[in-house]
Amino acid sequence: MTTQASRRQFLRTASALSVAGAATPFALNLASIAAASAQTAPDYRALVCVFLYGGNDAHNTVVPYDSASYQAYAGARATLAWDQATELVPLTPAVPAADGRQVALPLPLAPLATLFDAGQCAVVANVGPLVAPTNRASYTGRSVPLPPKLFSHNDQQSVWQASVPEGAKFGWGGRIGDLLAAQNANALFTCLTPSSNAVLLSGQQVRPFQLDANQGSIAFSALGSNSLYGSAAGATALRARLTATSGHLLEHELGRVNQRSIEGNAALRTALQSAPTLTPPTGNGLANQLALVARVISARSQLGATRQVFLVSLGGFDTHSNQATAHTALLTQLANAIAFFQATMTQFGTANNVTLFTASDFGRALLSNGDGCDHGWGAHHFVVGGAVKGRQVYGSFPDLTAGAPTDAGNGRLIPTTSVEQYAATMAGWMGVGASDLRLILPNLPNFATDTLGFMA
Amino acid sequence: MSEENAGRSSRRFRLAAAAAAATLTIAACGGGSSGSSASSEPAPLPPGVAPTASEAARFLTQSTFGPTDASIERVRRIGYPAWIEEQFALPATPHLAYVQAHYDPAISGQNFNWLQDSFWQQALTAPDQLRQRVKFALSQILVVSAENGTIASLADSHASYVDLLGEHAFGNYRQLLEAVATHPAMGIYLTHLRNRKGDPVTGRVPDENFAREVMQLFSIGLLELNPDGTARLVNGAPVESYTNADTSGIARVFTGWSWAAPTTTDAAFNGSTTATYPDRSVRPMQAYPQFHETGAKTFLGVTIPPNTSAQASMKIAMDTLFNHPNLCPFIGRQLVQRLVTSNPGPAYVGRVAAACANNGSGVRGDMKAIIRAILLDAEARDAGRLADPQWGKVREPVLRLSNWARCFNTASASGNWTIRGLDSPSSSLGQQPLRAPSVFNFYRPGYTPPNTGIATAGLVAPEFQAIGETSVVGYTNYMQSVIVNGAGVAVNGVRDVRANYAAEQAVADNADALMDRIDRCLTNGTMPAAMRQEIRSAVNAISLTATNGRANRVHTAILLTMASPEYLVQK
Repeated sequence: MTTQASRRQFLRTASALSVAGAATPFALNLASIAAASAQTAPDYRALVCVFLYGGNDAHNTVVPYDSASYQAYAGARATLAWDQATELVPLTPAVPAADGRQVALPLPLAPLATLFDAGQCAVVANVGPLVAPTNRASYTGRSVPLPPKLFSHNDQQSVWQASVPEGAKFGWGGRIGDLLAAQNANALFTCLTPSSNAVLLSGQQVRPFQLDANQGSIAFSALGSNSLYGSAAGATALRARLTATSGHLLEHELGRVNQRSIEGNAALRTALQSAPTLTPPTGNGLANQLALVARVISARSQLGATRQVFLVSLGGFDTHSNQATAHTALLTQLANAIAFFQATMTQFGTANNVTLFTASDFGRALLSNGDGCDHGWGAHHFVVGGAVKGRQVYGSFPDLTAGAPTDAGNGRLIPTTSVEQYAATMAGWMGVGASDLRLILPNLPNFATDTLGFMA
Repeated sequence: MSEENAGRSSRRFRLAAAAAAATLTIAACGGGSSGSSASSEPAPLPPGVAPTASEAARFLTQSTFGPTDASIERVRRIGYPAWIEEQFALPATPHLAYVQAHYDPAISGQNFNWLQDSFWQQALTAPDQLRQRVKFALSQILVVSAENGTIASLADSHASYVDLLGEHAFGNYRQLLEAVATHPAMGIYLTHLRNRKGDPVTGRVPDENFAREVMQLFSIGLLELNPDGTARLVNGAPVESYTNADTSGIARVFTGWSWAAPTTTDAAFNGSTTATYPDRSVRPMQAYPQFHETGAKTFLGVTIPPNTSAQASMKIAMDTLFNHPNLCPFIGRQLVQRLVTSNPGPAYVGRVAAACANNGSGVRGDMKAIIRAILLDAEARDAGRLADPQWGKVREPVLRLSNWARCFNTASASGNWTIRGLDSPSSSLGQQPLRAPSVFNFYRPGYTPPNTGIATAGLVAPEFQAIGETSVVGYTNYMQSVIVNGAGVAVNGVRDVRANYAAEQAVADNADALMDRIDRCLTNGTMPAAMRQEIRSAVNAISLTATNGRANRVHTAILLTMASPEYLVQK
């Protein structure tokens, strides 16, 4: 897996590590290495992954709108279909599709349609995990290698984030971080999330930092007050116990997490003190997470951050049942949160520096099971930001006719664009060199183009 | 889902006896000897054969919600095998009666409070500790979660589901699997309740949710396994154990199942509260022939012929999964991970799987045989593993709290053990029993913390999936408060579940004696010398004559222990 260019990165880090010595906590090592090798960073860039846990129903997220395409959609979806006349907002791409096909967003996503038409949002059609270009014939004939463990939630979450299933050791967000962390004064603040652990943000060098979902940072209370049950000696002992080193692998790792927590939370607390207070839409947990991300972005100078990757998440997309109610609520929350975030970035003057994108376990089957639909594969996704070449649908919007070349059965889409191309496009914008893209995205050479052109 | 909830107002269970049965303190119910009659009293072990207190505590850390003085003595007296058999003989303690006694339809999802209370009441005080611990393990494999709003509001159904896990914990996995598949809580959670056969006219297809997860999570897993739990390789590559066609095929079995009712009318299938039994949410689902697939059902190399009934199809599907060669290593390994160690050796898994495949009397799936094999295995009992840098597991946060509570004689002022809402990683444990984020539990058995020595060594550490820079703070701060103020709902500023540190405070003037007390049941008498010395010094730095000096010494010793990585890994 390790190839020439990544070896350059590792050698640089490894030699610095050996100089720093084994006694220094790992996070400190990384920070000092990064500081030592920091280059002038002309600007700030950040990626924000919005992961939709459960497998978002892409068929009802970006909907065929021209008459023929809509009929194929509505016929297959039955009661799940959005009503063309009353529930869809057609998108108006800058350059209409040559074949006359049109797509629309459902009403709950109207704020995204507004961003699309304003050129700040692009749609990437039918993207998903692929090892190599695949169609119905090669899928059913098993004549191409397929991604492992298709249709399985946890594994496809992992494949999206790391190209391999559960148990993955690093993801492409973290690998972007590995390659660019040298531009940050403190590598600890390269990959951050207020959500649960996600392999996307783990590199071979950088580790994701878990933000407190409400305040951004929290402190071990006894360490903050330097008093454990009234005793300063107790607080000192607590710090020593929390960060104890051990020859046992699990114990050692627990000590490292505690150490990173103590260091990171202290720096974050200071940095976030001057961050503006935001008022995200009420009752919108995703917007709350994005507000926190926005505050961390506003504190980027104090944190010495020049390149950052964030992950926020929203769950509940596994709509096997009760889809009409549940999916509508989720899409509403999603669109309002993204619109809030984009407005905040504009207000901060960082709209051109920050790119938000959606990801999910998989898309879903086109056929209805009565009041929901089942696990699929390819899906449509959104990329939002000032640096996005918006108002355009990238990739190939699928023909939803049963038996079409993209039909894996029951309208589960065989992707026509690889997640790795999607990722590479954003990695390139972040500053990963063209020759390094294939280091972090192993299947990229199997596709005609590395990148998709949706970033300026 | 409003139909389900509407049925609630028509009934209200008030079983006062259940409330009265709540045990008041852990000490009151002893350490596990209650329930065995004098006539079946096992003979004490001869001197030199009995486990040491340290060995007994370690065994009880794997097999209960935490060692107590009494349970340590019991294990020492009769030994591991007899203790296990004694536990097998104890009756199961149900949740349902307690939940029904408190059920209030007006508070909807808050009814999950009663199940949370009952969980802690049993985890901390029930004599059938082995069953409780295995039940908790099963609740993390065969997940139904109150994170789902409908499940939260149907707390009685959820309670009855957890009860069935307890009932079958000492039964057979075959019966357990079918009981799970036909329980309405699972039917709601994985949406096969009211699942209809496909309709070729509209193109409607059966819901595949339960179909997929019963294979992936509850029985065989995604990859073909060797009998020792390692992946079977063909030309160096793992082999997936089923395809999407198998999922669609077995999904046809799980059609036509809905609420228990005196009839099989469409109205009953659709959940009419007048057409179904008032206590439908605690009865197994029943089959409705008109909604069950009548065509052939093909999966995993089996074809169920057309026009086979829902019940017969269910039996064939369950038999097929149960007899699949993956079942024993797949489930056996996960139970080892929940009880003993995250990375059991293949030989250990192989021995557990062999006991699962045949209990010695030709019976497959015997849970008692599986449990004996897990807890009595040489690898589980080997004291040498204490020094193995890769062995053991991170203690689940829930088990840390229960360990504290059972170690220090906690009592519930209300008698209801009202410990609730432990979900927040920022301010609590980040783990609320029976409310996992999804059917994939709080963590996956194959989770590896990326970019760590654990990953480099090729190991997994499931519990690390819920550990991060925030959760470690949340846990430590939570325990700092709980150790002093107790846990649970506060009444007039006083929390419900509080420890009694009389025994510890009595020796607080002697740091060595105090450390011995702490070590006995928190670190199983194996606290590393350096750790002990650090904590001992911090204890001695607290003046005995200061206000609350003795109490502060005790609290300090406990928190410093429970915050230590050496404690957080169960070995």
